[in-house]
Amino acid sequence: MSMGRVMRHGCVALTALAGVWLLLPPRTTAHTPAARTATHTNARLTLRVMPGPLYAPGITPGGVGTPNRAFADVCAAYERLHPGVAISIEPSLGAVREYLVTQLSAGKAPDIVMVNVEDVWADVHKGWYVPLDEYLTQPNPYCAPGQPGSTQWWDQFKYQAISRAKTAPDGKMYCITYDMVETGIFYNKDIFRAVGVEVPQTWDEFETTMTNLRAAGYTPLQMLATLYVDWAVDLFLDQLYYSILPGIDLVQDPVREPYLQGYLDYDEICFLFDRGFFTRRDPRYRELWQTIRRFRQFANKDIVCEDMLRAFVNQRAAMLWSASPPCYRLDADPELGFEWGVFYLPRFTTNTSRFASDVEMCVIGGAGVQYEVTSSAYADTGDPATSPRLAQTIDFLRFLTAPENYAKIVNEHPLMIPNIVGVPVLPLMEPFAEILQRRYTTTKWCYTFDLQFLDVISRTLPLYLDDHMTLDELLWWQERNLTAARRRFARRKHIDFAPLQRRWDELASVRATMAGLPAAEQP
Amino acid sequence: MNTNARTARLVLRARRALACYAVLLVPLALLAVFVYLPVVWAFSKSLFEFEIGGESTFIGLSNYIEFLAADPTTYVGLVNMLIFTGAAVAIRLTVPLIVAKLIVSLQGERWRHVYRVVFLLPVVVSGVAVLLIWSGLIYSQNGLLNEFLRVCGMERWCRTWLGDPSTAMAAVIFIGFPWVGGFEVLIYYAGLSAIPDSVNEAAALEGCTGLRKFLLIDVPMVISQLKLMLVLTIIAGIQGFQNLLIITRGGPGYATFVPGLQMYYNAFSYQRFGYACAIGVILFLLIFGLTVINMKYFKSSEELQAAA
Repeated sequence: MSMGRVMRHGCVALTALAGVWLLLPPRTTAHTPAARTATHTNARLTLRVMPGPLYAPGITPGGVGTPNRAFADVCAAYERLHPGVAISIEPSLGAVREYLVTQLSAGKAPDIVMVNVEDVWADVHKGWYVPLDEYLTQPNPYCAPGQPGSTQWWDQFKYQAISRAKTAPDGKMYCITYDMVETGIFYNKDIFRAVGVEVPQTWDEFETTMTNLRAAGYTPLQMLATLYVDWAVDLFLDQLYYSILPGIDLVQDPVREPYLQGYLDYDEICFLFDRGFFTRRDPRYRELWQTIRRFRQFANKDIVCEDMLRAFVNQRAAMLWSASPPCYRLDADPELGFEWGVFYLPRFTTNTSRFASDVEMCVIGGAGVQYEVTSSAYADTGDPATSPRLAQTIDFLRFLTAPENYAKIVNEHPLMIPNIVGVPVLPLMEPFAEILQRRYTTTKWCYTFDLQFLDVISRTLPLYLDDHMTLDELLWWQERNLTAARRRFARRKHIDFAPLQRRWDELASVRATMAGLPAAEQP
Repeated sequence: MNTNARTARLVLRARRALACYAVLLVPLALLAVFVYLPVVWAFSKSLFEFEIGGESTFIGLSNYIEFLAADPTTYVGLVNMLIFTGAAVAIRLTVPLIVAKLIVSLQGERWRHVYRVVFLLPVVVSGVAVLLIWSGLIYSQNGLLNEFLRVCGMERWCRTWLGDPSTAMAAVIFIGFPWVGGFEVLIYYAGLSAIPDSVNEAAALEGCTGLRKFLLIDVPMVISQLKLMLVLTIIAGIQGFQNLLIITRGGPGYATFVPGLQMYYNAFSYQRFGYACAIGVILFLLIFGLTVINMKYFKSSEELQAAA
């Protein structure tokens, strides 16, 4: 090989190496999960914890301010208190459900995971999660004597009804409701003043407000397709069905009832569906989708891909329907340039719909971050009763809820509402804490059944909202979806419809006084 | 003496044969364990309500009946699959063939080599990267396509091409345009290059040139390659869902949903492995049936020549 050729090749190789060096990622900080895990390789016992995206160390909520570090600090404090125990913080994944299913079936899931407990309910019969009832009635050793939690862990939780309402349909509690979240309408006060509109008190006023805002050249409301599928369906369904609940609420669960008044579970939905409810024969059901369609016309054009917050921050949109976390982002922005506030969605009136129950709009938030203990936590003995690992896992969860530790984590940034007695609500969260006092929804419709049920709604409703599908086509999909879900659940859950039938017969006289029931049920 | 020699030869042949069988046994065993056993397992599980981690209940053909008669996504998926497969067949059997013919028609071997390399080079680009480029840089709200339309004053045509149900399917089919950067060109090129000079000369003497020669001489002579591409394209069209999973997840709505995606979602999202296995078995039978029809009724170049 000639000298010139060697030089040429050498230059190319050096350039490539320099490029690789320039592209090397920066050193990880001390608070990233990877760094924490690496420093505790000699631990006798390593607990694997998935704190979720809100509290994960190293994450910068909303992209402003300092990154999270409180969770890592509390973990470090626990390790100091318990030499030989290490806490490995597991990253949160986007498709957490698929990840968990594969990990749980292989017995390799983190000991503590963060997932909405409704998703857990679908799998509890497989023994993948540990019921926490027994532990919740025991004292939390990290609470000072005389303080809430010192006699039983349960007493520490501020929102008792909401927390206890997370009991699974099998009667067991599989989660610790760590904090609370609620939604609200963020609005631009400057735009409201300029257009001459007020915070609406009824749905009709709300529609008038949005009409005026649109006429003034603003996008009235920023919404995502997923929020129509989830929040809007729940709220609107409650507004339309609340008045007939006395005739169709067939199961009163003594544990969940204080918070979930009249809540319709999957077995009730299946039973009602067989009697024409939630079909095209049900006028309320038709009204539900039509009202959502009417609501959609006030929102941003692209409900699938658009960045919701951007148009609100740029003052192209006057309102944004969101959960509480954007508060922090808005408050921390020194160049925001406008005054903003939060109000809650107003109630339907009989002008809105002839089926309006004329009650205040309920809430659909409640429990925010929910922690579950998986079967991996007792993989050491295979028996929850004798597992030292499980005992340590529960102990760590209790440590996380000790007020001083809890306040560090939940109030590190104003994102969520604390659910531990004695931990203050940050000022930015106060409007949401106030909204949270309202009654809970009649049902979480899209989470009633399984992911397949949710998937069909998520795919079809946006098409209807954007005129790619007619109401009848949507109803056809929804009916087929419910039929399939009913068949799956009847097979999997072995639903006993006999008690529901008895209650249904008892309530016949109540329903006889009600108007607008599905055709077969008209008195 | 003769008998001994014959016996020795037979023993030697038997030992050679045994050695071959012994060598073949290993890949055969691996094939059985990793291919045939899973197929049998999938078929058996398709007869069960089988959920990961849950109990397994025998339900006979219920999964098959649900797929064919009850699942609202089945027929929309099958129709989409037919359209995607039909489009893929139309594209892969024409455009690369025309390009291969053009390369073969070039005079200098050097230029033929250059064009072969140029058309093969895109194969080394990751398929996922190609999909992300199309969905992110070309089809997105501020992508090349919309920006081009804006520049041309056709802003009202702008849309999220993969997010609009009326354009999503066409947008997916259009990915990879002009559909010439792949092995297909090389396969057709090999077939066209193998046409004997005597055939080309005879055609020239008969005055059969240009498009007429292409249709009457070249295409029949590469029918084996076309048949191979047809089978591979049909198999990929029926089985394939990975690209759709990456760029549209079958949406918007069910605009790009196919049975392969239905199988994937049931297995890994809905945890209905039994049902997913039933879908897999039905797709397998469909591919098997179409391949048999193809083998039986579409004749190769050699068969056509023999028949002539």
